[in-house]
Amino acid sequence: MSFAAIAGMSGARRSEVREGDRSARARLAVFLLAVGLAATVLFSLASGASDASAFQVVCDWLFPSFAARDALSARDAVIIQDIRLPRVIMGVLIGAALAVSGAVLQGLFRNPLADPGLVGVSAGSSLGAVAVIVLGATFLAPLTAVLGSFALPLAAFAGGLATTLVLYRISTRQGRTSVATMLLAGIALGAMALAFTGMLIFIADERQLRDLTFWSLGSLAGATWQKIGAVAPIIVLALAANPFLARGLNALALGEATASHLGVPVQRLKYVAIVAVAAAVGASVAVSGGIGFVGIVVPHSLRLAIGPDNRYLLPASALLGASMLLLADAASRTMVAPAELPIGIVTAAVGAPFFLWVLLRKRGVLEL
Amino acid sequence: MIEAQDISVSIGRRQIISGVNFDVRPGELAAIVGPNGSGKTTFLKALSGELPYAGRVTMNGRNLASLKAWDAASQRAVLPQATALSFPFTVREIVGLGLTGGRSGAAEGEQDSLPDRALARVDLQGFAGRFYQELSGGEQQRVQLARVLCQVWMPVLDGQARYLFLDEPVSSLDIKHQLIIMNIAREFARRGGGVVAILHDLNLTAMFADSIHVMHRGRLVAAGAPGDVLNDELIATVFECDLKVGVLPHAGMPFVLPQSAAV
Repeated sequence: MSFAAIAGMSGARRSEVREGDRSARARLAVFLLAVGLAATVLFSLASGASDASAFQVVCDWLFPSFAARDALSARDAVIIQDIRLPRVIMGVLIGAALAVSGAVLQGLFRNPLADPGLVGVSAGSSLGAVAVIVLGATFLAPLTAVLGSFALPLAAFAGGLATTLVLYRISTRQGRTSVATMLLAGIALGAMALAFTGMLIFIADERQLRDLTFWSLGSLAGATWQKIGAVAPIIVLALAANPFLARGLNALALGEATASHLGVPVQRLKYVAIVAVAAAVGASVAVSGGIGFVGIVVPHSLRLAIGPDNRYLLPASALLGASMLLLADAASRTMVAPAELPIGIVTAAVGAPFFLWVLLRKRGVLEL
Repeated sequence: MIEAQDISVSIGRRQIISGVNFDVRPGELAAIVGPNGSGKTTFLKALSGELPYAGRVTMNGRNLASLKAWDAASQRAVLPQATALSFPFTVREIVGLGLTGGRSGAAEGEQDSLPDRALARVDLQGFAGRFYQELSGGEQQRVQLARVLCQVWMPVLDGQARYLFLDEPVSSLDIKHQLIIMNIAREFARRGGGVVAILHDLNLTAMFADSIHVMHRGRLVAAGAPGDVLNDELIATVFECDLKVGVLPHAGMPFVLPQSAAV
C-alpha cells in the first residue's frame, strides 16, 4: 500500500471525529468526574480523627448479624452514620451548589470572572446571618425565639434572595436586564451589605465576635440530618433547573439579542438563573458560611479542559465542586486533628494558587 | 411575506426612525441603503423584535409583537453587524448554536452535518476545529453567517417562507467573499425565502438586490427596483456627495461612480 493511500485512510478516520466537536471528550469527563466523586465520598467516610472504618460499617449494613459480634463497630457506626455521613452529604450539596452557581452566573454575565461573591449574593446572605448572631438576643429576639436554631440559616437565605431581587429590580428596565448595570449594582449592593455587616461587627461583644469569625470562615462541622433536611430541597431544586438553562446559556455567550434571535426566551432564562443561584448560594452560605473559590476555580478549570458548552460544563461543575469541597473538608478535619481548620481557609489556600497557575498557563487562550 | 406599516422607533426621547413602510416577499432580496446614522440598523432591530416600536409588523400574516422567541426564531434568522463572544468556543460549536431553536428544516439524519455544510458554503472548510477568537474579522463574520444559515437551512418550512436579516453582511470581507456571501443570499431568495440586507456598496446592491429601500435621517425616502431608485439626484441628495449613476451597456445594470474627491 502506498504512502499516499495510508495518509488518505488516516485522513478519513480523522474526519469521523468531527473537528472542533468536544462533546465526546466532555461526556467522558463527566463520567470520570462521577467516578471520582464516588471515590471521594468513600474516602471521606473512611477518613477522620477517629479510626472508624467506613469499609467495616458498610459491611455491617450489608451483614448485620456479623456486626453484632463486634462491640467497637457500634461506636464506629454512630460516628459514620451521624457525624461523617451528614457531613459528607452536606459537602456534596454545598460543593455542587457553589460550583454550579459560579458556572451559571458566569454564563449569565458572559464573564468568566463572575462569582456569587461578585453580585452581592454572598454579602447579602452574610448580612442576614451576622444580624442574627449579633442582634439575636436583643432586637431580633422575637425572631430567634420563634425560629430557634433555624433563625441563622433562614436569615442568610433571605438576605441572599433579597439582595438578588433588589439587584434584579434595579438592573431591569422594560423587561430587559443590562448585564453591565447588574454587575455594577451588584458590587454596590455588596458594599452596602458589607458596610451594615461592619457596623454590626463593631457593636458585637467578644463572644459574638468569636462566633462570627468561625461562621464567616466557613465549616461543615455543624452538619446534621436536621440541617440537611432544611437545605437539601432548596439546593436540589436549584440544581434541577440547570439542564433547562444549559442551551440558553450557550446561546447567551453570543449576546442577549442574538440569543433571543436564536429562540431563547432570554428574560425567563435570566429570571430562573438568578433565583436558582440566589437559592443555592443563600442555602450554602447559611449552613457553612463563606467558602470561597469553589464557584470560580471549578468552572474555570473545567472550561479549559472540556470547553464552555454548558450542557456538559454544568454537570461537570457539580461533580467536581462536590469532590473538591469534600477533599478540602477532609483536609480541614485531619490536618490539625482533633481540632479543625475552617474549610474556607483550606479552599482559599488551595484554590487561589491553583487559580493563578491556571491563569498563567493558559494566559494566551483566556480572554478575560 | 413581511409587512411593516408606519414603523417609528424612539430611544429615550430621541426619535430614531419615523413612519417607515416596508415589505419583503418570498423570493425577494430587499436591500436597505443609506448614510451612516440614517436608521437602517435601528429599523432592522425593530423588524427582528429587538427594539420596541410603534406601528405594526406582520411576518407571514402574524403580528410580530405576539410571537414568542422560539416562534420568531423558526421563521427568521438575524446576522448582527458585530457579535462579541465571551468564552473560547470552537468554530463548530458557534455554528452549532444556530440549531438552538431546533427548526433548521433539514432532515433528522442531516442535522449533525449542517455545521460542516454551512461552513463549506461560506468558504471555511477545515475551520471547524479552530477557536473562533483566533480568526480574522472577516472569517468571524463568515462563521456567524454559517450559524445563521443553520438556523434557517431550508428557506421554506411548512409551506411558509423564512427570512434572513443581514446587517452589513459583507462589510469586512474581501471582494471574492463579498460575492460568495451575496450569492448565498441570492440563492436563499431563489429557493423561496426572503432576504433583508443592509448594504453600503451601491454597486453590489445594484447587482444583487430585487428592491432597494433608501433611508435618510430616519425616514424611507425611496423604494423600488434598482433601476428606478438609483438616479443621480436622489443619490447625490441622500449621500451628500457628487455621484454619477451609469448603466452597464451589456447587462443594463446601474452602477454608481464618485465624480470628485471633494465632499
